[in-house]
Amino acid sequence: MTTAFTPAVEVQAVSKWYGSVVAVNDASFDVYPGVTGILGPNGAGKTTLLSMMCGLVKPSRGSVRMLGQEVQGNIELYRRIGVMLEHDVLYPFMTGRDFVRLAARLQGMNDESAIDRAIHAANLEDAQHRATGTYSRGMRQRIRLAAAIVHEPEVLILDEPLNGTDPRQRVEFADFVARLSAQGKAILISSHILEEVEALADRILLVVSGKLAASGDFHAIREKLDERPFQVRIGASRQREMAAALVGLDAVESVSLAEGGSIEVLTRNIAELQRMAPKLAQEIDSRLYRIEPLDDSLESVFSYVVQR
Amino acid sequence: MLALRQAVTRRKIALLIILSLLPLGLAVILDSTVAEAGSLIGPVLGGLVISVTLPITVMVLATGAFGNEVEDRTLSLLTTKPVQRWTIVLSKFAASVVVAAPLMAVVAAVITTMDADGTGNAPLAAAVGVIVGVVAYSSAFTWLGLLTTRALGFGLVYVLLWEALITSFLSGTRYLSIRSYIFGTAHGLNDRAFGEDLTIAMVPALVGAALVTVGFFLLTTRRLSRMDIQ
Repeated sequence: MTTAFTPAVEVQAVSKWYGSVVAVNDASFDVYPGVTGILGPNGAGKTTLLSMMCGLVKPSRGSVRMLGQEVQGNIELYRRIGVMLEHDVLYPFMTGRDFVRLAARLQGMNDESAIDRAIHAANLEDAQHRATGTYSRGMRQRIRLAAAIVHEPEVLILDEPLNGTDPRQRVEFADFVARLSAQGKAILISSHILEEVEALADRILLVVSGKLAASGDFHAIREKLDERPFQVRIGASRQREMAAALVGLDAVESVSLAEGGSIEVLTRNIAELQRMAPKLAQEIDSRLYRIEPLDDSLESVFSYVVQR
Repeated sequence: MLALRQAVTRRKIALLIILSLLPLGLAVILDSTVAEAGSLIGPVLGGLVISVTLPITVMVLATGAFGNEVEDRTLSLLTTKPVQRWTIVLSKFAASVVVAAPLMAVVAAVITTMDADGTGNAPLAAAVGVIVGVVAYSSAFTWLGLLTTRALGFGLVYVLLWEALITSFLSGTRYLSIRSYIFGTAHGLNDRAFGEDLTIAMVPALVGAALVTVGFFLLTTRRLSRMDIQ
């Protein structure tokens, strides 16, 4: 078992490229017991990074060590790690219980009580004897999770585990992960949804375009993200007067008149802008049509962090 | 069991039944029209079963053993467990053999029995030869299924060009042909029913089949250990 001071996973200068496409570029970080979130937009390289950490994909450069051992080609290490990859795959002809039993047998276990515990943890007792082909997406995720934890691994790698789950299942999953974390296990969870990781992880690895853009305490990174400037489009009559009035607001960094008669505003305090804009419009007798953020996509959020 | 369950899907069973009934039906028709000795063993067993039906049957089963898992991405379910890679390969290889060998052996034995030359141990010789072929082809096609997503296409080209055509005309290449290993084994067990045309001796046939089987088994294990699994 690792302690809070020894890394469960050590990633050293890892890169992976496929021909001329660089999937992961020179990433280095350590993962400690507790919950670590790998956050990044789709296609950022999260799955490739996790696949290298599980030994499924060989790094083009660099090394990955887990629990003090080299990962690549180390089959015995799989007794100590549990893996649930992003792909929603099961053997549809198997019942849920048989699927978890198969995972246990492949781990060299013949303990039905361990299967019971894993299925109970995944909250699938009622559906365990049904073929997995009849499961909903959320149920499939949970039975895969049960299979990943049946041998009580020290390190758990979960790639997009909340895909397809409903809000209640997300709360249950968060509780479940918290319990595992309290037992001293190292849990890695990837997601492209900021709020998902926020609810689960103590630490964060932010991956953008194959690079590790930021790492550390989640709240510090979240503050950094919240400080970023937002671009907002405002539709109003009397655009020039409205633009002049907006420039006077503390929340506004810059104002420009865009083609089509709208106003584009750069602000670090979008709430203040949303509160003040209607008042300004009223004061100058302008008619306000809309206020809409232009760049609230995850990609723009991540790009901002990378530029910093 | 998992490998066997994956190997035997409804579509594959239907295809295997068709591939088995086709030569049997042809044999029945020929038997009722041409009553000459060797008229079934030569064209039907040699020309159709051993040259076409058998390799295609094994190809369908063995290329899919890993190919389907790579395609539907279930391979990582096995390779993230503490299981030696060679045991995974063995289970896939064995599943193909267990399904194809009895089927093809029965087809070969029945056709041989129907022929006037198929007396004595001839049906047994045909069955043993066919089993040797199933084992060798299974190993080769299991590797091909892990190597490329276009295994069926490459396999078909190999069977039709190399096994059925080139080795029939260039005698030196027979030592590199699984079809020749089948004929060589059958001929070694019963040289009256299975003539010397197109054959090699039994010992080099068995050695060749063993080398192909072990060689491709090792290549498959090596490939599974080193490949990136997405």
